Order: sequence, then C-alpha cells, then structure tokens
Amino acid sequence: MKTDVTLKIAGAAGEGIQTIGDLLSEVCHHSGLFTFSVDDFESRVRGGHNFNLLRISDKEVAAPGNRLDILVCINKDAYDLHKQELRSGGIVIVNADKAGTEDKTRFDIPLKKLAEEAGGKITANTVAAGAVLSMLGTPFSVLADILKKRFAAKGDKIVSLNMAAAQKGFDAAKGLSLDTGFTWEAKKSNIVVLSGAKAAALGALAADCRFFPFYPMSPATGVITNVVSYTKKLPVVVEQAEDEIAAVIMAIGASFAGVRAMTATSGGGFCLMTEGLGLAAMTETPLVILNAQRPGPATGLPTRTGQADLLFSIHASQDDFPRFVFAPGTPVETYETMKRAFHLSEKYQVPAIVLLDQFLADFRMTEVNTLTVDPEIERFYAQNNSGDDDNPYLRYAPAQDGVSPQRLPCSGPGLVRITGNEHDPEGHISENAANRIAMTQKRAAKLPAMIKEMAPPILVNPTAPVFLVGWGSTKGNILEAVERLNAQGIEVGAAVFKDMWPMDRQVVEKALTGKQLIMVEQNASGQLGRLLAQEARISAFDTILKYDGRPFFPDYIVQKAKELVK
Amino acid sequence: MITSKDYDCNYENKWCPGCGNFQILAAMKEAFAQQQIPPEKLTLISGIGQAGKTPHFLKCNMFHGLHGRALPLATGTKIANNDLTVVVSCGDGDCYGEGGNHFLAAIRRNLDMTLLVHNNQIYGLTKGQASPTSSLGMVTKLQNNGTPSSQFSALAIALAAGAGFVARGLSGEPEHLTELIVKAMNYKGFALVDILQPCVSFNKINTLSWYKERAYKLDADHDPQDLAKAFQLAQEWENSLPIGVLYESAGTPFHERVPNLKVQSLASHKYDGKVMADTLLKKL
Repeated sequence: MKTDVTLKIAGAAGEGIQTIGDLLSEVCHHSGLFTFSVDDFESRVRGGHNFNLLRISDKEVAAPGNRLDILVCINKDAYDLHKQELRSGGIVIVNADKAGTEDKTRFDIPLKKLAEEAGGKITANTVAAGAVLSMLGTPFSVLADILKKRFAAKGDKIVSLNMAAAQKGFDAAKGLSLDTGFTWEAKKSNIVVLSGAKAAALGALAADCRFFPFYPMSPATGVITNVVSYTKKLPVVVEQAEDEIAAVIMAIGASFAGVRAMTATSGGGFCLMTEGLGLAAMTETPLVILNAQRPGPATGLPTRTGQADLLFSIHASQDDFPRFVFAPGTPVETYETMKRAFHLSEKYQVPAIVLLDQFLADFRMTEVNTLTVDPEIERFYAQNNSGDDDNPYLRYAPAQDGVSPQRLPCSGPGLVRITGNEHDPEGHISENAANRIAMTQKRAAKLPAMIKEMAPPILVNPTAPVFLVGWGSTKGNILEAVERLNAQGIEVGAAVFKDMWPMDRQVVEKALTGKQLIMVEQNASGQLGRLLAQEARISAFDTILKYDGRPFFPDYIVQKAKELVK
Repeated sequence: MITSKDYDCNYENKWCPGCGNFQILAAMKEAFAQQQIPPEKLTLISGIGQAGKTPHFLKCNMFHGLHGRALPLATGTKIANNDLTVVVSCGDGDCYGEGGNHFLAAIRRNLDMTLLVHNNQIYGLTKGQASPTSSLGMVTKLQNNGTPSSQFSALAIALAAGAGFVARGLSGEPEHLTELIVKAMNYKGFALVDILQPCVSFNKINTLSWYKERAYKLDADHDPQDLAKAFQLAQEWENSLPIGVLYESAGTPFHERVPNLKVQSLASHKYDGKVMADTLLKKL
C-alpha cells in the first residue's frame, strides 16, 4: 500500500523553513522513502510569509501534495493562513510561548524556548524537526544519526547542541502520533535528490560547458550559483555580465572560440537576449540559453511559477531560423536535456533553448539515479583548418543538410569569417538575391534531421478517449492525476511533451487525433494547444489552465478534469 | 617577413572615397605587420556601422557581430581563449551609444585586448544622425535644431572608469596612429585608442582640416602615468586636440584575476570524463 504524508512548514522569510524541510527529507531518504519538496516564497529576503510543502511517500512521487497531514507554524500568522488546509485528523504544531493544546488538532510547542533550553536559539529548527519526526513515528536514533552526519564538519559542540534540541522537540511531541505506516530501517537505494536548478548546472557541466556568462534574475540564479562550487575542480568560469544582452553575446563569443558556453535567465532577460539569439542563428554559432520561466510580462511575479514563454521561445527574434526548444519535466530529465541541448546545438550549429520554470527550478524530488557522465564528448569543430587565397575556407559552404564544417579561429591558415549580415559562403557581407535565397534555404535545410532528433510526447494509456496534454514541469502532476482518475474508473490518458521544437507534425497528429484533448498548462491561453492547432491540425481542445503563479496540484487537475471529460 | 601587403584582401571595399577609415585600415595593417602577426593569428571583432565593416577589408579571422555588441563578443572570445590576439573595431555610435554599458564594463574587466574606436562624431551608415561624440548643437537632418545632448568625452570617461591605457589618434596621422595601435596591442590589459576621423559625407564641421588645425602630438615631456594630467588633456577640445598616449599604467588583466584563467586558457583544457564523473556524481 502506498503511504503518503504531506506536511507544511510555514513562517517568515529568514526563519529557516527550508532548513527544517531539508533535514526532514534527509531523514526520509535515509530510510528509503521518497520526498517531493516545494518552497513558496515572496520576493523578499526577510519577513513576509513563506512555506515549505513536503510530501513523503514510500513510492516515487512527482507532484506536491496539498491536503495537509501536519502543519508546522513557526509564527501565529502561519496558523491563521493555513489551518483550513488541514485534513480531518491532521495535526498542527504552533510555535508558542508555552506548551498547551487548544483543541484536539492544535498543539502549542515553545520551539524557541526549548531551543534555548537545549543551549541555543539557533537550533529552533532542529527542535521543530524533532517534533515532526516524533509524530511520524521515526525512532530518535535515526534522527540522531543524520544530525551527526549533517553537523560533523562543524564540530562536536554543534552536534551535541543539535542532538539536545532534537530530543527536546521529540519529547514535546510525544503522544502526537500520526499513523503513517512508514518503516524506518536504513535502506540503501539508488536515488538522487535534485532541484531543477542544480540538475541544469550539473547537466551543463557534464556537457563540458566551461563558460557561464550571466545576469542575475529569479528564478534562474540558482542554476548559475550551483555551478560556482564546481569551478574549484573544473576549468569553468562564471562571469556576471553587465546585462542579459552582454551575457548572451559573451556566450556566442566563447562558442566562436570553441568553448561551450551557456547563459540562464527568465522571461524578461530572455527578451533582451533575443537579439543575440538571432546572431547565433544567423552566424550558425552554437548557443544554449536556459529560460527559467516566471509569470507575467515585464517584472511580473519574480518568485512565482508559470509556463507562458513557450510560443515566445519558439518565435523569439526576427525572421525564420531553426532552433531547438526543450522543456524537461523533472530534475533528472533536466540533467539529460542540458547534455542533449549542448550536443544538438553544436551538431546542427543552431541555438537551443531549455525551458524550466520556477517550480521545476526549485522543487526537490527523489528520483532514481540514472545520471551518467560521458567518457568522451563528441565535438563538431573541424580539426583540419587549411585555406589560402585560391581555396579559402568557406564557413558557410553549401551543404545538402545545411551544416557546413565549423572551424576555430587561429587554428590554421584558413581564415574564419563570420558576420551577422547575410553573407556569402566565405562569410563576407552579401546582398546578392540568389545568395540570400540559398543561405536561407541552407539554414532551413537542417530542419528534417533536427526533427528526427526530437522525442515524441510520452503517452500514457494511448487508447484512452481523453488525453490530458501538457509539457515541462506539469508532467508529475498530470501523470498522478491520470492515475487517480483511472482509479476512479474514468478512462483518461496523457501526452506529455519534453521536446517542444521543431515538432514532428505527423507523429504528433497521429498520437492526438480523435481524442478529446484537455490542455493542462500554466498559462492563460493554452499555448501548447495553440501550437498543436497550428502544427498538427488539432481543431479543438479543452483547457485546465492555472496562471496564479502557484504550481498545480494533482487534486486540482482531477477535479477540473472530471468536469470536462465527455 | 610579414608586410602590410600580406593583409590585403580582394573583397570590395564599400566605404566612401576620402573616408578616414582607409587611413585607419592602412595603419592597422602596418601595426599588425610591424608586430609580425600573421593574418591567421589575428582575430578582429566588430560591431555594426562603417567601422564595423573593417574586418571584411583585410585578411584576418573575424566576427562582425551586432550593433553595440562587439565588446561582449570579444569578451566571450577572450575568456574562452586568452591566447587569441583580439582587436575590436567599432564606430563612435556603435561603441559609445548602443554599446555604452559594454564599454564601461569592458574597461572594468580589463581583458587583454585592444579597442579601436573610429570616431567621426556622426552616424555614417544610417546617413548622418548625431552620435554621442557630436558637439552640442550640431545640426543634422534629424537634429535640425542642433543636437540637444552634450558631447560624450570617451577619453575622460574611460579614465574615470579606471582604464589602464587611453590614447587618441587621428586618421590623418597614419604613422603616429600605427605607433599608437602597436603600443595599445602591447599593453597587458584593455587598451582604448579613440581615433578621430572625418566623415566626408555627413560631418561637414569636423573635417580633416578641422582636426589637423587643432591636433598636436603629446611629446616626451608628457608623463603617461599622471592621471590628473590625462584628465585635463582628455577635456581639451574646441581649440586644441592632444593626440598620443594620454594615460598608461600597468594593471592586472582579467585572466590574472580569475583563478581558472591564470595558468591556461579555457579552450586548451582536455575533457577528462573520469575527473568529470568524480566531480559531478560522486557526492550526490
């Protein structure tokens, strides 16, 4: 049987809410349990209202839970805000001045006072974690082992301080038991717990990306800060650019010189990068851009989530040119996608855009560890760089598949000539009409092979008459909603896209024709639906759209789908 | 023995006859020849404008990029491979207007490269609008009441931003200009040479004779390490125009400030799958 517990830890920014969630997750992983942890925070560093939503299960979970079994309120506001989310039989812990109970569900525990008794106010988070684990039936020894490991580097004093604090919390919650059915023996399992941001950083590094020019912007900043610690061991440079325009152009410059480079941003920064995107396309210089989406034009909601840049990413910059657009659904998929993005961008000499969103960038999820590093990286720069006046190197030599050999500047007598103007095969400016047609066709000639690289959407219950259709980070939510609907006897399937563009029209049309399609997207117009209508002759679709800046929950999709299924 | 002829290229030059760019191009070739840099070991990066076209008119590796964006392009190229000899060619509108933010950032980064700004105080390619370096009140077809913005003093701003090498040349003094370009390229760090040049088509005020009447060469008495003096010289304009190296002071170039660039270039590292796997996956 699947056991599934959701708890929320809520309070102000700066109160260490994430720390509690992380500590609890670590204890769970030690015992082979799976977690899905998502943070909700405002665009501020201190104060306001934040929470960590932690789902614990003995089976893999890929979406957040929203019916609370346990609510931990670090301040009183949190209690007022979230008490109605508690399921019947759930338990609330409120950080109060003194211990007590108001009713059968609310228990006041003086976390700060207990922490002080244990020896330091700063351990209030450990007190809270102790209390929660006590309710989940975790033996104290399991928590003790994790604390020893976690604080070992900080010395015995800190370890014993935290042990004392944990014990205080553990004892304070004695008698408050939630019958979870979890077993707590240590279990070795091949799992990895990553955020999308960290996975993107690792994937880029694994692709031998060595240069990360970047302008800070939520929610993409985490991608680059995750790179920083690896610069000690790997030949990698992170450089804060003066703006997003410079960031993307620097990446193109590095790529011109043969070094893999990427930049990361969110929608507003990506707006500034569209000029560079066009330069990469026109000059056929490999480029990877990660866009961690957030809602709204302009500044929008900086720390919230959305999926409204799909059509923008596919169409950004003037004129027509081929590009790849990917939207991974989980952290492990993000890792693999980054590796592929670099490989394909260089293979076809086209830009590749990877779409994450705040939800995927920040949530932390237990997955089976399938991460690999390649023993060798396949590179596509030509090694032999010959050329002279009579036989110059032709950077844009005509090629049936559109891909002309790319060489590195100063790597031999062949001169590498590149321009963002329309150019002749040698790379000189050309306004010749026939050349313009030939070059446009050369660039477009890459498309058939690029389309073949694209994975079709993942299909669940392919014979079902109704499909929930989504892309990117909604994957886990959609798959869980399908499972629950099926359990209720409602026959639905799903199609989830990861490789967005270019689209294999035939494959998509074949997979989706004849179904009732319900688009599940985090934007206000059903952007994937509109794309399918344009590309794959999908004439009609229903929608479950959410654009409040908060992620989906499976419950929400189940409820809406029931209203829509014909 | 490399001579300036070795950089000649038969791609049709599209500048107006009499353009100051021809002399700048000649001085560039001469400067490269004097340093015996073979064309295949030279990388020119440029923006958009008449000056931006320069790399097409000589033999070199080149990336002719976007308006205003030559400096970030060169920055990425140099961070990737510091072994490349990178010279950036831009116009005044390109570098000081559209690319103003990049100009300031490039000075602060201090990558080891040379920026040549072909400064004719006017937009040429777009046919005669005021540029940041146009004199206040200059009348153009677009600014028909005279440009209402005051003149951008690139040299003073570069000095204020901490540039370690600031020079001014004049297209009509090609030998002197050649000398300046050689000095700039030998400087370890970011070197700016602002090159005054006439635009025969659109700037009827700042003509070659206008410049020649005012320009004077800084002589051996000038101490290029005197920042206050350099500021003073940078602000001379209406009646006299100092040309030469206004300021030169040794600094630490970018690749010596960044640990991973100190020893060898990013491009020169070999990929090692084992180290990569150990570094990325072991601790997860």
